Amino acid sequence: MGLDRRGFVKIVVGGVAGTLFTPVIWKSLDDVSIWSQNWSWIPRLNKGEVKANAALSKLCPAGCAVKVKTVGGLPFAVVGNTANPMSQGGVCPVCAAGAQLMYSPARVKSPMKKVGEGKFEAIKWEDAEALLVEKLTALKGQNGKIAAICGDETGTAGEVISGLLSGLGNSGYYMMPGEKFVAEKGVKLMGGSGQPGFDIAGSDLVLMIGADALDSWGATVANQKAFAATRPTGAAATAKFVYAGPVLNHSAGVSDKFLPVPPQATAAFALGLANLLINDGAVSSASDFAEYKALAAKYTPEEVEKATGLKAETMKELAAMIKAAKSPVVIAGASFGQGGGALDFVAGASLNVLLGRVGSGMTLLPAAPKAVAGAAASEKDAASFLSEVATGKAAPGALLVYEANPAYALPQADEMAKALGNIAFKVSFSTYMDETAALCDLILPAPHSYERFDDALNPYGVAKSTYLAGKPVVKQPAMDCKDPVDVLLAAASKLGLSLGYDTYADVIKAKAKALGADFDALVAGGIWTGDAKGGSLNLGASALAKVAVPAADDKTLAVALMSNQAFGSATLATPPANLLVISDKELSGKDLLVQMNAATAKKIGVTAGAKVKLTGGKGEMKARVHLNEGVAPGTVGVLLGFGRSAWDEFTKGKGDNVYKILTVSDEAGTGLKVWAGSTVTVAKV
Amino acid sequence: MKAKEFKVTWGMVVDLDKCTGCGACMTACQVENNIAPMVDASNKMRTLSWMLVYELSNKKSGAEAEVAYLPRPCMQCGNPACVPVCPVIATDKNEEGGIVSQIYPRCIGCRYCMAACPYHARYFNWEDPVFPKGMEKALSPSTSTRPRGVVEKCNFCHTRFMQAKDKARQEGGNPESLPDGAYMPACAEICPTGAISFGDVKNKEHKVFELAQGKDAFRLLEKLGLNPQVYYVSKREWVRKLGDNYAATGKPGAAKKHS
Repeated sequence: MGLDRRGFVKIVVGGVAGTLFTPVIWKSLDDVSIWSQNWSWIPRLNKGEVKANAALSKLCPAGCAVKVKTVGGLPFAVVGNTANPMSQGGVCPVCAAGAQLMYSPARVKSPMKKVGEGKFEAIKWEDAEALLVEKLTALKGQNGKIAAICGDETGTAGEVISGLLSGLGNSGYYMMPGEKFVAEKGVKLMGGSGQPGFDIAGSDLVLMIGADALDSWGATVANQKAFAATRPTGAAATAKFVYAGPVLNHSAGVSDKFLPVPPQATAAFALGLANLLINDGAVSSASDFAEYKALAAKYTPEEVEKATGLKAETMKELAAMIKAAKSPVVIAGASFGQGGGALDFVAGASLNVLLGRVGSGMTLLPAAPKAVAGAAASEKDAASFLSEVATGKAAPGALLVYEANPAYALPQADEMAKALGNIAFKVSFSTYMDETAALCDLILPAPHSYERFDDALNPYGVAKSTYLAGKPVVKQPAMDCKDPVDVLLAAASKLGLSLGYDTYADVIKAKAKALGADFDALVAGGIWTGDAKGGSLNLGASALAKVAVPAADDKTLAVALMSNQAFGSATLATPPANLLVISDKELSGKDLLVQMNAATAKKIGVTAGAKVKLTGGKGEMKARVHLNEGVAPGTVGVLLGFGRSAWDEFTKGKGDNVYKILTVSDEAGTGLKVWAGSTVTVAKV
Repeated sequence: MKAKEFKVTWGMVVDLDKCTGCGACMTACQVENNIAPMVDASNKMRTLSWMLVYELSNKKSGAEAEVAYLPRPCMQCGNPACVPVCPVIATDKNEEGGIVSQIYPRCIGCRYCMAACPYHARYFNWEDPVFPKGMEKALSPSTSTRPRGVVEKCNFCHTRFMQAKDKARQEGGNPESLPDGAYMPACAEICPTGAISFGDVKNKEHKVFELAQGKDAFRLLEKLGLNPQVYYVSKREWVRKLGDNYAATGKPGAAKKHS
């Protein structure tokens, strides 16, 4: 039977009609689109019960009280803890990325021993701990031979480390330079003692001098919440915010007023303001008022304009605004260990004394009871200590580094890294392979924040004594790590030293008890708050007499260090989930963009996008120029947190590290090492 | 074409005078929606930013300089430009609540919707999602991962909407009339200054009802008539002007068309 023409047409027509009526073809098309996307290498989601557990997320410097969401026991997201009065349901961008950081490629996966330049081999915990004990035993009892650098300002771990050193006959416990350290020195210069706090929530005018309080200074989320409470959407604001600093940053962006003040002139700005307030009738009962008044009188509007570029009219408007306020507060400072020195702090804080706001707007927190006997406060900062190591004045044989990254986050970073090379045995207790860990002889991996017990006492900036604690959210850490404090307590016991505890959890329980706090309530997401101490301060006039305003220089630019909480901190490189937040005005490929205004760029002969070399001290860095009219004249704004040489593919080699070009000097009268207001030359390449 | 009407209209009101530009919303969005980290995230032609914070400037210098930060999710337009151009109906606006859907398995990657969207709220997956080894353990159970070749965008964390409705059903409430705060996208939930408010802009009991009608409220490019469900609030006139930079009158609020 042949196929005739009619039969062929029938088949074709029948076939076409059939395709229209059968669902097979449409189903196939649908399946094609589904199955062409259903590849085995596309990650699948995790299944299981979703829970949210309270945690203390110490990934940002202040620490956020959060809830970690888990699915089938695995953390995947972080949300705010609305029940905690400090965070009030807010989360900073770093802690928001916390769950993913547990699996950061930069995590140290097991104990590591250095076997050659830049080479490490994984070792067992028992061998690692034995090595630590062996080295410490050899140096026990020789003061100056064992030192420790701590980068955690709030944890009781510091007490354990300090107590261990004392027990071993050593006093070399050093803190990384941070705001708290500098501010406490400042308070001493004003005849007081204790950690200063600032009550943003209880003030109707907040003048931030250099302190990026709404992004990266102090207890950021608490500050943001206090700010937000004064700005109900759709209604009138109940407080004014003013930012005076070198760059129009996040705090300045939402402030009522931004005053561009070059970084080296912040003290002059504060004293110029004091002069106007005194002329307007402000008086203080402080013993050194007469001296202060005479000093402030030197900062006439003309002098202030010369130092800051701010017009006399602008300063007068600000003084009038402060006078009109019922409860103003002045916050002077910086973030990220910017080396501001104590005098900038004193100049700002003296305004609070002048305005009669000590004890209310600006508070002093009482010293908290110690959990570890023999623990002493750090007398010197790590920058001063490493400078001594560099010159041979200090010659420790062993160095313990806890939650700190001195090889990256200290001025003249390359010199600091070299100084570390002078120490024979260095141990890093770090969660991540940071620049300092990469230089150490032994790396003992610390658990991630959601894998360990930890606490936070008085994060810098809080107005009242505040204590938070957290317990692990997961049953098992993602890596083969041990709590550094547990390791140190075990080592102490092997060295024949009893610090009174076996684990960090026990230390925190004791600390909570000493404070009168309920440990169980704390780890369930609660908070303990105490009172602020009264006490009086003087105006710090004798210290402020040493303030020097550097003369303007046509050839160099002042460096304004810019911090952005989302980009990480001194101890944490930008988390992978935060890379998106870095804008194309900040990083382009591997080039960091430095910020300056058009007039400054013209003066030094560079244009937008130009490749430049910044030189300062013994270091140099490369960058491109971004024109930003929110930068003070004669100033170059450089973002902190870039130019990592360790970590992971997400951060390594991106941008350059501004710490390399900062120059360290001794602050007159305080003995502190300072590097804020460093100057650099900027040249086209 | 007449816009579809919904009884419930999920909307956002962003207070630009409260946004510090910290970026927590962007991070929370990335985490909630399983967006893989990119090694070179500075290549903004390739990144996926369902929520993106823009920096606005008043173009003045010195003490006159001002900036504002503008978080931009998908506007979930009442009359979306992206929906009619989709040849395969991978994106649609047909669900109570007015969220513009994006069905990844149906998307053929033609990107007409991206060309049509005036808010640049849509993103194309140029690469398969690759998470660093082990990080897939931290995937959120809320959003499936998308392969390369498909377009994606913010959907107001739609899974959270479904979960809020489920919860209402379990607790004997009305899933079609959720109370204020029962459903919150990740960005609004995490914002440390509470700059992002979220709710049903048609429900008087929801805070956003009033906020969206405030005198300083505006929407982006209102003149285009896309009827966005995302509102912004700023007391600063220059910010409001920038929000509607195609408005013929140049006067903020002149072309306001609140639904």
